[in-house]
Amino acid sequence: MSERLHHDSVFSLEEALARVDDDRETFQMMIELFMEHGPKDLADAQAAVGAGNAAGVARSSHRLKGAILQFCAPAALQACKALEESAKAGNLAHGERLYAALELEFHRLLAALRQARD
Amino acid sequence: MPIPAAVTTFRNAAEDGLRTVLVVDDEPTARMALASRLKRLGYRVIEAGDGKAGLEALRRERPDLTILDWMMPEMDGPSFCEQVRQDPELLSSQILMMTSHDRPEQIAEGLARGADDFLSKAASKYEITARVQAGMRTATLIQRLEDVTEQIRRKQEVLERELQSAAHYVESLLPAPGTLLPGVQMVHAYRPSLGLGGDLFNVVPWSEDVMGLYLLDASGHGVSSALRSASFSTFLRRGNLLHHVGSNDPGAILTEANKQFPLTEDGNYFTIIFARLDVRARTLSYATAGHNGALLHRRSGEVRWMTKPNLPLGFDPSTTYLMEELPIGSDDRLYLLSDGLYEVPASNGELWGQDRLEQTVRTFGHRPLAEVVSGTIAEAIRWQGHEHFPDDVAMMGVELTEMVSHE
Repeated sequence: MSERLHHDSVFSLEEALARVDDDRETFQMMIELFMEHGPKDLADAQAAVGAGNAAGVARSSHRLKGAILQFCAPAALQACKALEESAKAGNLAHGERLYAALELEFHRLLAALRQARD
Repeated sequence: MPIPAAVTTFRNAAEDGLRTVLVVDDEPTARMALASRLKRLGYRVIEAGDGKAGLEALRRERPDLTILDWMMPEMDGPSFCEQVRQDPELLSSQILMMTSHDRPEQIAEGLARGADDFLSKAASKYEITARVQAGMRTATLIQRLEDVTEQIRRKQEVLERELQSAAHYVESLLPAPGTLLPGVQMVHAYRPSLGLGGDLFNVVPWSEDVMGLYLLDASGHGVSSALRSASFSTFLRRGNLLHHVGSNDPGAILTEANKQFPLTEDGNYFTIIFARLDVRARTLSYATAGHNGALLHRRSGEVRWMTKPNLPLGFDPSTTYLMEELPIGSDDRLYLLSDGLYEVPASNGELWGQDRLEQTVRTFGHRPLAEVVSGTIAEAIRWQGHEHFPDDVAMMGVELTEMVSHE
């Protein structure tokens, strides 16, 4: 597992590994799960934003948040929280912008995790 | 990587002895992270991907602790908790709810809907460990409580079966209602307060014209009183009385009984009325020991209480109990009863009392004897406002429907 991104601001490998007691095998499986399910949740969030479906946005962003929390990725987590809270408040006036921020951070995290895994 | 099944058991279910945790979360990455932490802590872990599968796993596996996400599609965490608390089989399950909510009103809602504790989704591994261990301690205590409750319930069942059996035995000692002698009818009512009473009454046949009647009241209630009464009733059998007393004189019988049945170590004693009815001589002889529950309702309407201030049995071995004798005639009625009948309290504590009982008997007059006995019991029940008597209640009514001529 590469640690090149350890000092990157995308996520803290050290903290994320500590959460699973440095069990790298489990951590790798978590990355695989996230790479499989995360994009689907993101797509669901995007579709819900497009449809003005606040409850759907809240549901998708909540799921994503639960996964992102495991990787100690502050920027992605913050973007996800902002979209979820806005959706829970029933306010999607800035939904497109908040989603775009999340999408950017999500892909940065995904890339960093892929690098970490490889 | 394949999506984990809706419910996955990570260790062999046969590994009994391991404490089990059910993790219910629709987000697989977070669920795996938590499950792996729990497994490292030595727990058997079951995973469920939604609330419905979680409930199925809870019913099937009965984990010691359930950790579930608040926000899930279809069935959220609070709804899961509500279903668990409404299910008698599951309601004592320990539930730790994961949430990112930290507002007091949301925590209050979760607790009100059935969660036992909360765990932040961002909790450190140390906090997760501490919360899970606390939940396990509670689960252990609840399990012990349930085990002890079940043991007590089983023992209670055994005791109740034994009490029922003993109650049947005591009731088998009671006389059958009907004709005692030609022209002498008897009915009775018996309402023990605890399913097994200490009051007993019976008939002692002396000859074709003479019979004994008694009603005894053992102090206290329940098994001990019933056993003492059964023992006393054995003493009062005809053959035993002839052997030990040598007479059917009620006073002599109680004087001897007073010696045979002293106060118990717990201070328990008997009160009794013992009567002798001689239909040929047309006399009613009786003796009492601390017992005030006997009255004679004559055909003329006169009511006479057969009471005498004296000691119950067992207080003083030198006490002599003397017989009284009254003339009787056709259609006279004798009622023997326990004090539990007229000492029933109303809701304000006021006792029904002998005066009201007497008035009830007068009001019923000479309606059929069974109607008088059942009606008197019903009136006592009406006075106290419920069916359950606080003390044993017995009432025996004897009617002389015709007199045997001695000519």
